[in-house]
Amino acid sequence: MAQPGDTLLVEAANHDRRWLLLVLNAALATTAGLLLPAALASTVDMALAGRYDPSTVLWLVSMVSIEVVGDAIGVVLAAAITAKVTAWLRHRVAAHLLGLGHPSPFAAGDAVSRVTGDSAIAGGVSVILIVLTVTVLSSVGAVVALALMDWRLAAVFLLSVPLATLLVRTHMRLTADDVATYQTVSGDLSARLLDAVAGLRTIAASGTAEQESERVLRPLPTLAAAGIGMWRTQAKMIWRAGLLLPAVELAVLTAAGFGVVAGRLSIGDLLATLGYVALGMGIVGQLPMLTTFARTRASATRLVEVLDTPLPHRDAPGPPANPGDLELHDVSLDGALHDVHLRIPAGTFTAVVGRSGAGKSALASIIGGLSTPDSGEVRRDGTVGYAFERPALLGATVGEAIRYGADAGKRRVRAACVAAQVHDVVVRLPDGYDTPMADTPLSGGEAQRLGLARALARDPDVLVLDDATASLDMVTEATVDKAIEAALPGRTKVVVTHRAATARRADLVVWLVDGRVRATGSHEALWLDPGYRAVFTGGDA
Amino acid sequence: MDVMRLYLGALAGQRRGVLVLLGWSVLEGVPAFLSGRLVALAVDRGFAAGRPLVGVGWLLVFAVVAVLGGFGLRQVFQHLGAVIEPMRDALVRVVVRGVLHDGTSHRRQPDASAVARITRHVEVVRDATAGVLVQARALLVTTTAALIGLVTTVADLAWLVVSPVVVALLLFALLLPSLARRQRDQVMADENSAEAAGTVLVGIRDVTACDAVREAGDGVGRTIDRQAEVAVRVAWANSLRGLVIAVGGFAPLALLVVAAPAKVASGQLTAGAVLGAVVYLSTSVQPALRRLADTTSTVVLRLMVALRRLSEAAPAPAPPAGDEVPDGHAVTMRGLTFGWGEHAEPVVRDLDLDLAPGDHLAVVGPSGIGKSTVAGLLTGLMPPRSGTVKLGGVPVHLVRPALRHERIALIPQETYLFTGTLRENLALFTPGASDEDLLAAVDAVGASELVARIGGLDAALGHAGAGLSAGEAQLLAVARVHACPASLVILDEATSHLDPAAEARVERAFAERGGILVVIAHRLSSALRAKRVLVMDGGPPLLGDHADLVRSSPAYAELMQAWLPAESVRPSY
Repeated sequence: MAQPGDTLLVEAANHDRRWLLLVLNAALATTAGLLLPAALASTVDMALAGRYDPSTVLWLVSMVSIEVVGDAIGVVLAAAITAKVTAWLRHRVAAHLLGLGHPSPFAAGDAVSRVTGDSAIAGGVSVILIVLTVTVLSSVGAVVALALMDWRLAAVFLLSVPLATLLVRTHMRLTADDVATYQTVSGDLSARLLDAVAGLRTIAASGTAEQESERVLRPLPTLAAAGIGMWRTQAKMIWRAGLLLPAVELAVLTAAGFGVVAGRLSIGDLLATLGYVALGMGIVGQLPMLTTFARTRASATRLVEVLDTPLPHRDAPGPPANPGDLELHDVSLDGALHDVHLRIPAGTFTAVVGRSGAGKSALASIIGGLSTPDSGEVRRDGTVGYAFERPALLGATVGEAIRYGADAGKRRVRAACVAAQVHDVVVRLPDGYDTPMADTPLSGGEAQRLGLARALARDPDVLVLDDATASLDMVTEATVDKAIEAALPGRTKVVVTHRAATARRADLVVWLVDGRVRATGSHEALWLDPGYRAVFTGGDA
Repeated sequence: MDVMRLYLGALAGQRRGVLVLLGWSVLEGVPAFLSGRLVALAVDRGFAAGRPLVGVGWLLVFAVVAVLGGFGLRQVFQHLGAVIEPMRDALVRVVVRGVLHDGTSHRRQPDASAVARITRHVEVVRDATAGVLVQARALLVTTTAALIGLVTTVADLAWLVVSPVVVALLLFALLLPSLARRQRDQVMADENSAEAAGTVLVGIRDVTACDAVREAGDGVGRTIDRQAEVAVRVAWANSLRGLVIAVGGFAPLALLVVAAPAKVASGQLTAGAVLGAVVYLSTSVQPALRRLADTTSTVVLRLMVALRRLSEAAPAPAPPAGDEVPDGHAVTMRGLTFGWGEHAEPVVRDLDLDLAPGDHLAVVGPSGIGKSTVAGLLTGLMPPRSGTVKLGGVPVHLVRPALRHERIALIPQETYLFTGTLRENLALFTPGASDEDLLAAVDAVGASELVARIGGLDAALGHAGAGLSAGEAQLLAVARVHACPASLVILDEATSHLDPAAEARVERAFAERGGILVVIAHRLSSALRAKRVLVMDGGPPLLGDHADLVRSSPAYAELMQAWLPAESVRPSY
């Protein structure tokens, strides 16, 4: 049955046409592999006859050489094809995921696993198909070869495989119990470790590392018991499976022995028999490849889910009636905002307030064009700079993180940090602005101010601060406010906030309730409404 | 700590288990040892001599031997757990202890994904060790058994057939280091690429907001291309390794068939012996070598990589602990200077400060200026760059650790709650405390209502204080320290998630408790309650009481002015 990912797999396979070479190489190596047992048989017969025939030996050596060299070429070729196709898929999927923007329909962890995991699995499509085909062909070829020597051998082989499988088949499944226990306990241990890691400062300061290690490790004996159980179950399963090949070998060998007695087969043919049995059984060992192929298709389907998600249309917003203004006309966004109608005059300081879940962040992301509304229209001109409550600081060093996505020079980066009150922190880092982000321990407040500096460094016309100073104490927040005004005078500012003091400083307050604008006006005017006051005090409206 | 040594040590500790495994391995190797010989007998005495029943009889013997070998394998698996699981226990132990002893470093602290990675690496080590013990051991056993069988079958040609195998194995061993390097490069490239993709996809909002889709895509793209390049390089190495092994496996066969005709003609070798030798080579030695090349080395490399990763989490050697006993509880700081690194601006410069029991100090200043450093210095977790911090006349980092931990308690902003009862959580620093003492502490910091709501001291807390708000978790962490005997308590923004009224109650409770209280303030209201205030704003430290500082320090006065009007419009507090 066709799956959505199949078309992508065909496309992916054809992205690197070297699969044709791989097929050619596999055909040669497989043919040589099939001729090999027969060549070995005639060489042994030659040796047993006590004579030395160079052409017989040469034939054997050529078959072996073709197979061995073919295998070696195959390894590199297969890896090269898989690597190229995988990289191609990764590029496509990563680019598409980035293009989908914010909010992404794919959770971050899931998105990463599609780029790293699914792309790699789907990228192996050509190689898997070829290996599957080769396995089937060489198994069939081995049976044919047996039949050519003596039809009885092929018959015994074909009969003995299912019989032997029945005989050694075990009704034991890896008992789910031990596995489940092992995973649960392992998860518990991780969760305990994570708890302790979150409290690392407490543990360090109180010198209780040893005691807390013991607490984390308390489930360890249960884990070991479950682990031992898993090995015992495996022991019951595995040894019978290991008997399959010898069982079939001996059955066919017996038949071949009678063939020798009857003069139908030479002694060398006994060896060829063993060789073909091993080749014929190859398909059994490769059965998991079918599961792998199923996974390949499933992964391709997961990639298609990403690639088929339409990219949001990011047309430039229409111009507002007055240059520099921000206008929202009947804007709605999937459950978060309903029919929002708003005009924010150029150069004003607007505070967006409301309880959590009221749609403040959604409004902030619509205003600056970070998200596209489902319906309605945003009118705006000029550039936008965003800062967030928990910024993701991207870039290798502190300096790069601040100029991320913008071409700001050193001076502007520095000025932005001074305004965001974080310059003093940065210069105290081991290498100042060149300190790698990975080595930079940042508190929430420090990260926020770096995020703010990043927005300021872009020198935007509109500044959208989505609770971007929440972790700062109020003194620092007030200082940051003043510094922004000094560094970027006259810019339009939209600030999502939980603080009354911030709303009080705003020219205009937009009060959201359940995704709708409840009221707009000055903080003093709105303060008269008990419902508005309750937004800040946390009391009941 | 060298994880590799620990790992080998842990395995060596299971010597008995390993010996049992090896014992059963001998049984597992019996089929390989007898395969050629039994086939030779079946042919020589049976089929070639026109006595098929005798031939079948020898083959039946072979069948019995195969079952015996299978039974050996079964026993190997049965006893695998006894070796693997204790080794895993030891590894988990050392890694957990390593992570928890690493609280003083300035490195970015491990987070959820780091913990997940550690778990994964431990599982890799477990599986790979099992793989080595099952496969590599089996291959070794099979190859050795088959080679011995071979030598006894065609004793005259022994050196001819054994030496190519030995040469191939030696070459293979020589290739391993370069192979390991490439494999390691591949693991690193994989991790880099996953990390690069993870960073930008987790931060997709910020990427979009910064208009940096192209930049982000290019960054990820570079790691993807590098990953592909490295994968092909590993394949070249694998291919070469396969070639060496294949040639090593086939050469004995070729030499045998070239040398055998003369021996057979002269009657030195029977047909069965030649057949048996070829059976040994083609059904035991060759497949075993091939599997060695295909899987075993990969398993070993996976094992090495995982162990190396784990060693990064293992504990660093602890600095020698002091053994000084302080005289009294007073804290004195003289000429104290501290910064992150050599090149960094100091965050504390030339600080002189005396704290006596009954003192209540608030440390205020802009976020991120380094207020928490004071906590690090006071607890002795960080040595000062210059100057001294003394407790009872003795440098605090040289105080005997047990005494230091008993006398000094730090409550950081991020709380530590663990799964267990509330009682266990509250009694963390005072394991012998009575319920009355704990409840008194709970009452003092204003957590009674909270404790009653979650079900009293017997209530079970989930992981990471599940179900509690950040403020409630902080309240419990504060109550825990209130109940402990420490004479120096440091609140490092420990009440940041509480509302101002609750924060005030907590600070009052500690002020009334006696001893020295140092509050690293999140809100300026903390300064109003303190006897003395230390202002840190990058310059030389300012010290005084609130009224003094408002008068004498324009910087402090400005800070207060900026804050007070804002607070005055928040009537409900």
